[in-house]
Amino acid sequence: MSGGRVLVVGLGSPDRGDDAVGAAVAERLAVFGWDGVDVVAREDPTQLVQLWEGHGAALVIDAVMSGRPPGTLHIREVGDSGEPLPTSAFAAAGRGGSHAFGLAGAVELARTLGTLPTHVTVVGVEAKTFDFGPMSPEIQEGLDAAVATAAAELIALREEVQSCA
Amino acid sequence: MTHQLKDGGQVMHLGMLARVEGEGGMHIEFENGHVKEVKLNIFEPPRFYEGFLRGRKFTEPPDITARICGICPVAYQSASTEAMETICGARTTNAIQEMRRLLYCGEWIESHALHIFMLHAPDFLGYESVLEMAKDLPEVVQMALRLKKAGNDLMTAVGGRAIHPVNVKVGGFYRMPTVAELQRLRPALAQGRDDALAAVDLVAGFDFPDFEQDYTYVALRGDRYPLERGSHVVTTTGLRFPIAEIPDHIREFHVEHSNALHAHFDGEPYFVGPLARYTLNFDQLSPATQEAALRAGLTEECRNPFKSIIVRTVELAYAFEEALRIIDGWHDGHAPSVPVAPRPGEGIGASEAPRGLIWHRYVIDADGIITDAQIVPPTSQNQASIEADLRKAAEQWTDLDDHMLTHRCEEAIRNYDPCISCATHFLDLRVTRS
Repeated sequence: MSGGRVLVVGLGSPDRGDDAVGAAVAERLAVFGWDGVDVVAREDPTQLVQLWEGHGAALVIDAVMSGRPPGTLHIREVGDSGEPLPTSAFAAAGRGGSHAFGLAGAVELARTLGTLPTHVTVVGVEAKTFDFGPMSPEIQEGLDAAVATAAAELIALREEVQSCA
Repeated sequence: MTHQLKDGGQVMHLGMLARVEGEGGMHIEFENGHVKEVKLNIFEPPRFYEGFLRGRKFTEPPDITARICGICPVAYQSASTEAMETICGARTTNAIQEMRRLLYCGEWIESHALHIFMLHAPDFLGYESVLEMAKDLPEVVQMALRLKKAGNDLMTAVGGRAIHPVNVKVGGFYRMPTVAELQRLRPALAQGRDDALAAVDLVAGFDFPDFEQDYTYVALRGDRYPLERGSHVVTTTGLRFPIAEIPDHIREFHVEHSNALHAHFDGEPYFVGPLARYTLNFDQLSPATQEAALRAGLTEECRNPFKSIIVRTVELAYAFEEALRIIDGWHDGHAPSVPVAPRPGEGIGASEAPRGLIWHRYVIDADGIITDAQIVPPTSQNQASIEADLRKAAEQWTDLDDHMLTHRCEEAIRNYDPCISCATHFLDLRVTRS
């Protein structure tokens, strides 16, 4: 049982420009060798619904596009105790992931099926481009800040889980 | 959104389709109670793949074209590798073909499981989306996620990644998976086969409208049910011709309201996809999947696009069966690839993507540099059939209120599981400067 563990997921396609930032941040976090933490990278958000089942908490790092300057960091608590996400916007825009099923859909489906961890934090990194190719210079330059923010959130989640254990 | 026209006509316009991949809309215009005009609007921007393949090496299309779609990358890889091997006169081994088929099974499982249960089933069960459906039918959604995961794991084991596999190359694979790696997948695949066969009965219980369409079906045909390749193309009009002759029959053309090229077969609209594949290859399904299809009320020919959900579920079960067959017969020690040396020429490669026939045509020079490329995915080819279905749906259900009619028309589009990202991979771009 992994109830006392924290899952870290770097979400996104490594080929699609700044969409690679999730996996890049997760990879850097993994280097620290955290106790009680599993770090993975995934491209398909639907996998989250099963992947995080049984974990006490999860940290998801993903690229977002909201019109803010590239590299802007967004932090959102979406765990089982939080408010539902506006999934209709993701579906309507067709930008949420493969076949209009994105992170918001995965979170809400997991909430319905009872697999959503109590604590889930999403660190969103404002992207500049999802075109094929490497990450944009702005995102690469901001990678250290994204890793530091994600690490701080991970420490908080780990403490949360351990205090409940 | 619907509004009255001054002449008493009416326009129904839906700006953004839900539960499809990519960005598209539809436009239906009525006049005196009859449908005057129907358009499937595909406004997702074109992506110019064929343009930037020119000048690249003949070994690059499997990796480049796989990026066109996150749902059916293997279809692109199979068609492009076959085209290049045909041009270069390379003969792959049976083991390489079996491994390609296994990888293709993973793609069918991922794609069909997603569409059947997460995108299409809510239409028949009266839910706005799978999120609402999961509240009442959690066990069905959990099963769907299990099935999809089995496909993801198969793609990862054979292709190296669950999306956009990286293990495929012209001539075969970079590395063959081992018996031990494949056998680890077996329990989930066996469960998947049983679940998919049971799911055929589940979807057969949905209500289906009377909606028969007399399209020309076009699909691959070979020595077994077509996935990764076929030896010929066959049609319900009785034609049978080699893959190399596809461009003699299929012509692409541009229409103003779509960023995806339309296509005609011998000058007429046609239909590719699960219904065509099933109708033209029913005899090559396994006994268990044939039995499941007949038990579900299908005959050997299926003409109702709303029943594509049953056919997809039959094919899902077949993909699990095929995956198990290949894994159980696999031995270690097969060479992962054969050498392929470039030689100048033109060639076609074709496979059956989850959404239907996909074909690629390439021309390469003596150095193996691509001088021309053409990629024709299923959703492009089906646009005319989708519009014909929309016209029939709008005529047949004119009495429904706007909301219900819009919903019905959206369902008619989702019957095709359209992949708009695939369809907009290309548009001829002309810039005029004065």
